[in-house]
Amino acid sequence: MKKKDFLIAAAVLLLAGILALVFRFAGGDPGGSVQVKVDGRVAGTYALVEEQRVPFDTKYGHNTLVIEGGKAHIEDADCPDHYCEQQGEISKTGETLVCLPHKLVAEVITGEASDVDVVAK
Amino acid sequence: MNSWKKYIALLLALVMVCAMALAGCAGKKSGSENTASDEEPYSRDIFAMDTYMTVSAYGDSGEKAVDAAVKEIQRLDALLSTGKESSEVSELNGNNGGKLSADTNALMAAALDLYESTDHVFDITIYPVMKLWGFTDQNYKVPSDGDLKAALKLVDASTLDYDKEKKSVAFTVGGTQIDFGGIAKGYTSASVAKLYRDLGVTSGLVNLGGNVQAVGFKPDGTEWRIGIQDPVDAESMLGVVSIHDAAVITSGGYERNFEEDGVMYHHIIDPSTGYPADSGLISVSIVSEDGTLADGLSTSLFIMGREKAAEYWRAHKKDFDFVLCEKDGTLVVSDGLRDRFSPIDENAKVEYVS
Ligand SMILES: [Zn+2]
Repeated sequence: MKKKDFLIAAAVLLLAGILALVFRFAGGDPGGSVQVKVDGRVAGTYALVEEQRVPFDTKYGHNTLVIEGGKAHIEDADCPDHYCEQQGEISKTGETLVCLPHKLVAEVITGEASDVDVVAK
Repeated sequence: MNSWKKYIALLLALVMVCAMALAGCAGKKSGSENTASDEEPYSRDIFAMDTYMTVSAYGDSGEKAVDAAVKEIQRLDALLSTGKESSEVSELNGNNGGKLSADTNALMAAALDLYESTDHVFDITIYPVMKLWGFTDQNYKVPSDGDLKAALKLVDASTLDYDKEKKSVAFTVGGTQIDFGGIAKGYTSASVAKLYRDLGVTSGLVNLGGNVQAVGFKPDGTEWRIGIQDPVDAESMLGVVSIHDAAVITSGGYERNFEEDGVMYHHIIDPSTGYPADSGLISVSIVSEDGTLADGLSTSLFIMGREKAAEYWRAHKKDFDFVLCEKDGTLVVSDGLRDRFSPIDENAKVEYVS
């Protein structure tokens, strides 16, 4: 009987340990997302884990936010400078894609931690 | 012990252990929330001065300071924009000069100091040439030689009859046009930094379209880590500088440019030729306590090229430091940043200037 009690107690501790790990690593991280603002107003928030193409047609013009492989970039913009399409892909918290003519900003709000506070450019 | 009692005891034990495990996690979280590093800043973002800006501040006066910062930015934008007919700068350009407000007087003094110290590389009368290239309204085109020659005749800040005490300027050559664009954002970030300090903010960050000014240290007492944009790859950085109470401002041809007949033309115009500067540098970052100076020098040193930039720094090393990126990727760093700069690419060629 004593030996059985000990085994059950050990099993309980092991289970508790596994649960703690699960809460710690899986439960705490909902995954990154990108928030799009147009003229300062939030137009939507999109999970980086979901492959998607989100069109934005505003009074300023058209941009498509594309999420692929956990990163976001802009395509199909009809702004005059097309700089928004040349800013590459973003995935780290605080990184932005900006279309000045369309007053559109996409920013990673919960993502991989960045190792800088801001980028001078 | 009965077996059902034993199972209840075990179940209770399980619940308790789980609760303890969870409490351990939660305890860690709330523990780190108590340290200042996890404190959230108050932030706002706005479009002004033809760019996207983010201003943030930590602490009790953060909200008040950030709201005041946004107002200050909008006030200066209305004063300095060449694109707005009602701006003070537009009125000066329309009337061949006139009276100066406190801000334009400070800007004029700073601009003419830079004009002298950079041996005329920094020149606010470059505006007619910038207009010809279309960099002022994004109607990009390569100007004809005749047009360029005519516009270049107007580029000469020594023709401005400026009186700092009387706060007035007269354009002695008709057709002269000025633009504070080369220092306006740096002046604005410096004004916001001053406003933060006046309101008691000891930790804040001002980002005016990539022109960065940091106030104090981070809330956890460490220095701010400011990345420097890689001019070749939009997704990467050249390196990181660790600073407090300083502006970090980068200029490069990658910021604004256009292509015509297969040739790329960028917006940093050399006032001695009227053409985009081709000095061998592809980006220049300036670190200085003085945001206005950092802004003006980032374009000036870009135009000067490596040798003249290093020479200029040797004569003014108390005022600023630099990171230059050459066409082949070599990073040239002034000695003051030796312990503050770290390149991202471990194999990058870094040369220190002293
Ligand atoms: Zn765009």
